[in-house]
Amino acid sequence: MKRSVPFEIFRYAAIFAAMAVTLVPILWMVSMAFKPIGEWSATGADLTWWPRQPTLSNFRFVFGESDNDLIVALDHTAVKPILSSLLSAVFGTVIAMSAGTAAAYGLSRFGSGQNLPLALTQLRLFPPMAVMIPVMIMWAFLNLNDTWLGLALIYGIVTLPFAFWLMKTFFDDMPREIEEAALVEGCSRLRVFTRITLPMMRAPLASAALFVFILNWSDYLIALLLTTREWVTIPVYMASLSSSMTGQLYGAKAALGLIAAVPPVIMGIAIQRHLVRGLTFGALKQ
Amino acid sequence: MSAIHLQNLVKKFGDFTALKTMDLEIADSEFMALLGPSGCGKSTTMNMIAGMEEPTSGKILFGERDMAGVPMGRRGVGFVFQNYAIFTHMTVRQNLAYGPRMRGAAKAEIDRRVGAIAEMLQLSPLLGHKADRLSVNILQRVAIGRSAIMEPAIFLLDEPLSNVDAAFRAVMRTELKQLQRQFRQTMVYVTHDQLEAMTMADRIAVMDHGVLQQVGTPLEVYNNPANVFVARFIGAPGMNLLKGRPAESDRGLVIDLGPLGVTPPLPDELATALRTVRGDVLYGFRPEQVTLAERGLSMPVSFVERIGARTIVHLGEGEGAVKAVFENGVGLSVGQAAVVAPPASSVRVFDAATGLAVRAG
Repeated sequence: MKRSVPFEIFRYAAIFAAMAVTLVPILWMVSMAFKPIGEWSATGADLTWWPRQPTLSNFRFVFGESDNDLIVALDHTAVKPILSSLLSAVFGTVIAMSAGTAAAYGLSRFGSGQNLPLALTQLRLFPPMAVMIPVMIMWAFLNLNDTWLGLALIYGIVTLPFAFWLMKTFFDDMPREIEEAALVEGCSRLRVFTRITLPMMRAPLASAALFVFILNWSDYLIALLLTTREWVTIPVYMASLSSSMTGQLYGAKAALGLIAAVPPVIMGIAIQRHLVRGLTFGALKQ
Repeated sequence: MSAIHLQNLVKKFGDFTALKTMDLEIADSEFMALLGPSGCGKSTTMNMIAGMEEPTSGKILFGERDMAGVPMGRRGVGFVFQNYAIFTHMTVRQNLAYGPRMRGAAKAEIDRRVGAIAEMLQLSPLLGHKADRLSVNILQRVAIGRSAIMEPAIFLLDEPLSNVDAAFRAVMRTELKQLQRQFRQTMVYVTHDQLEAMTMADRIAVMDHGVLQQVGTPLEVYNNPANVFVARFIGAPGMNLLKGRPAESDRGLVIDLGPLGVTPPLPDELATALRTVRGDVLYGFRPEQVTLAERGLSMPVSFVERIGARTIVHLGEGEGAVKAVFENGVGLSVGQAAVVAPPASSVRVFDAATGLAVRAG
């Protein structure tokens, strides 16, 4: 199709604008992370776009080394929040994916739990705040407040609908004949699921798990409400990085943000082949 | 080895009846094709034989054994699916070895069987390949191998060749037939392609709208269709059917085809049977058996279709349209009038009201 020149210009302008909106904050973060205080603080006289004297002091700072220029000492370092984020997001993802996959398979193959899709969607219908207050009270009774396990549990619950819906579409798309072929050969139902279905669903499972993990990893609100000190997660910890002297510690925040971006990016690259391959099942040619 | 008996088999999905009271006897080591258009109930029948679906009522027996409640893994059937259903996360070898492995065969036994079946289906060089990189032709070979490896007494094939390309289909028709000759399994082959059914099957069961229309050898269903559906469905093109009314003439019983004139007199036996029919009849004859003649049905040529080996000439229009298959050299062109006559022995007559064949004798 031949497009007119003005349209092409508009098209590229739109693409460029969309990319700017997404990429500029990341660029800003990368730049900030390597700046010395003078270049990012509001008091600094020489604010710059790009660090003139790149330094790792921001990274050292969040891991506990005092910064002479900052005159601020942290009461605890970023190590525990990183651990907290990792534990809660990973276990939350495990919970959501196991329950979601099992439920989706049951509904897709046996039609059991017809009301389940709607019931699970209801989890997301209320504003999170409305749900979180009772959860805080329940978690307090269970002694789960300010623990990574408590966070992992609630993460598993709130991301379950996503895991369920994603997996359900994948199971619906997978031809039943593949399972029937194994059943005819004398394979048991459970064995079909574990040895045939799940291995063939590796790609969809990986994409869904990444999606759920990113949701958990980037949560701020739930962690803010359910953790107070011991097990705060990266986003909550990040919000606390400020001082009365300099205000927001942008350099430290950016450094932490860069660290936080690492796990999703690594996972994304690791399963890229699966993401691209997507949902095409080699076996099915209709 | 095993015969299959289907007795009063009915399958309903909610209000929809997929299969209406089917009775069919498939003999031991017989190649039976279930032939019919989409939605005729042939796959449903097959799925019930395999045990994937339970019949709403009726019985399925393998030999003397009632299959009610026997799960598909215990029926000892091989099943080949239209879309292959290959385990793409495994290699060709693992796919082939799946059945024996599930049944706990010894390693040496598995290797022997895999080697033999791969040899037969020319898959030996591909044994180490991952199954997700193979062409559809190879995938279907693997699927056939995976089912055939256990040498099941009953082998079920659900349109196995409808996704492969035409050249390969021709090859596989021969191979499947040889496979069956070698193992003498009872084969049930679901297809909508009459060429497959005609070339491979010992007998064909023609189905339509969940009703079994006719069971017979390929030549029986071709030469003596039991009803109008089979007459039209079998053959390419299907049988010509012209509406008319029996009428006595001084040369014997003829059929008055209205504007097309009257037919030549019918053979005596057919005429005798036809005298019992009241009302309209359909006068049928195969396009391949039509010859040009001095006297017969005079019709204008409306279209000439060249299909390579033969030429199909379309004659007349609407209700009175007739197709005739000739050698390529036939001197007919559009607009010309052709006088055609089917030989008396090839004429079949159907009762227009019931659609059933009027059989001589």
